Amino acid sequence: MKRADRIFALISLALSCWLVIESLNYDYTTDYTPGPGFLPFWLGICLCLLSLFLLFDSIRRRDAKEEGKEVKMPAGKALLRLGLILLITAGLVFFMMKIGFVLAAFVFIALILIVLEKYSIVKGVLYSIVLSGALFLIFRYWLNVDLPKGWCGL
Amino acid sequence: MDILQSLMHGFSIFFTPYNLWMAVIGCFFGTLVGILPGLGPSATIALLLPFTFGMDATPAMIMITSIYYGSKFGGSTTSILINVPGEGASVVTTFDGYKMALQGRAGSALGISAIGSFIGGFVGTIALIFVAVPLADFSLKFGPAEYFSLILMGMLTIVFVGGKSIAKSLMSGVLGLALGVVGTDVVQGAPRFVYGVPELMDGINFVVVVMGVFGIGEVLVSAEEFMKMDSIKVPFNKLWPTLKDLADSTGAMLRGTAIGFFVGALPGAGSTIASFLSYGVEKSVAKHPERFGEGAIEGVAAPETANNAACSGAMAPLLALGIPGSGATAVMLGALMMYGLKPGPMLFHTSPDFVWALIASMFVGNVILLIMNLPMVPLFSLSLRVSYSILYPIIILICVIGVYSLSTNVFDVWVMLLFGVAGYFMKKYDISGAPLIIGLVLGPIMEHSLYRALALGQGRISVFVTRPISAVLLGIALVMTIAVCFKTVKMMRTQIGEEER
Repeated sequence: MKRADRIFALISLALSCWLVIESLNYDYTTDYTPGPGFLPFWLGICLCLLSLFLLFDSIRRRDAKEEGKEVKMPAGKALLRLGLILLITAGLVFFMMKIGFVLAAFVFIALILIVLEKYSIVKGVLYSIVLSGALFLIFRYWLNVDLPKGWCGL
Repeated sequence: MDILQSLMHGFSIFFTPYNLWMAVIGCFFGTLVGILPGLGPSATIALLLPFTFGMDATPAMIMITSIYYGSKFGGSTTSILINVPGEGASVVTTFDGYKMALQGRAGSALGISAIGSFIGGFVGTIALIFVAVPLADFSLKFGPAEYFSLILMGMLTIVFVGGKSIAKSLMSGVLGLALGVVGTDVVQGAPRFVYGVPELMDGINFVVVVMGVFGIGEVLVSAEEFMKMDSIKVPFNKLWPTLKDLADSTGAMLRGTAIGFFVGALPGAGSTIASFLSYGVEKSVAKHPERFGEGAIEGVAAPETANNAACSGAMAPLLALGIPGSGATAVMLGALMMYGLKPGPMLFHTSPDFVWALIASMFVGNVILLIMNLPMVPLFSLSLRVSYSILYPIIILICVIGVYSLSTNVFDVWVMLLFGVAGYFMKKYDISGAPLIIGLVLGPIMEHSLYRALALGQGRISVFVTRPISAVLLGIALVMTIAVCFKTVKMMRTQIGEEER
């Protein structure tokens, strides 16, 4: 957890510096009230102090107390799995605007089931047709959501 | 209008077939997600939000609230049958519930947990009325200064009481507040942190963040590993606890209700702490505490009653003050605003029909849940056979479409995916997501109150301490902060002392 805390503290520290610097572009006060730069400035200062505390604490903490607490970063198969899920989801978001929701959802589910979850092609395709069709009907006709359209108006 | 009259009025508004149907759907989904590990109530409420976009506030909130307390009903099922808690508040139920199941008493444990949940929820709702109404009347005295101090105190309490690491929870809260400043600023109406992106002019919608952090984030954590569940099978006819079980559990249920309600009403404490506390109390008052952990029925009755009573308790500050105490209630607060209601001290007075219909629905919802849970637990436990590999692509698709339908804009979906990755790391590294959501939802209200208070006080900051209620609230916040700092310094000194020795 020490390493994770240190990374989180450093990211937050960078964010806090950015917040403070950016807040200086806005008025700090108006006539009677604080201006738009007031809250972001102080939030940046608070975040900076908390990040420094966490950083200091993670450096100071004894290793003995950390046994068994270290969080493993995803690696190997787990990392590949996560990467593929995110990649396929990003593909869904990108292509649904071009080929429409139904087709994009069908390909998305089929890819997840066949490539990631090792379903047989027939089973994967069958599940994809049923699930993407059901979601389309629910959102389009029951909830009247204006889904992205592609070919054939679907 | 006195309380009874208002409640009757609430029942008259609630009892339409549509509202009743919404309560049934909410209870059903609540129980289902309670049973399914890896999907908490915050994520489920967020996932089902898109289904309510076209609805009026009352049926929508009836459904959302019943998901919230329904999940506590269902949470015990997996704790008892497979030793895996469906959500945090049911962790403690595994101690004795699973032991009972191994001894062939799964039916009794499930039955007692359903009855306990019902008593906790029902009595808790009665208590909610008697706490929330005076609280709402008292809060009429609140001006912007008091409201600012209240939000500040509420947020600090949530972090100090609820979080595992106070520093990380505070940082999560501050980041939430920082996300809240994006968009059109409340003072000059000028764009702030927008960088020419028109989609950011209205700020970052809380649904986008909730779906990302709780929806996509949880999916990524769960999908990283395969989940396989082998459940202990329970026959339909063995779900009724014996009279002895009931007699043994009565005291535990009554104590669980009282503890659960009061702990739930405290911001940040929530149902998980309530269930652990009530378990501890039962163990300490028991004649044979050694039975606990070996299949004691009180060890199931007390926490299950307490976690449902805590849900009712948590509704008191939410409805009377507009202060959420947890991630799930923060999502509910955001939903209230989305439906055009103004949560806060005035809600009881500006929207009495809505508030009383919601309270009435909680009474009926608990009855629906008892009916659903007692005889139908074996049916619900069948849902454990649905493979997670089928479930998670559906969850991702609902998140994508839910966020897209907010403003039919794909920009929000990309932002959600970004928060999904952030949510994954937050969950992995034990950074609580609740303060982030609470900060995002309450941030703009807090900023608005701050500016209004200072404008009314002609720019004098003393306005926060010269008004007595505000001064008391700030005083409590200060005392809490000093206590936490003191404790942290003491802990550090002890550690340094140990190292030197």
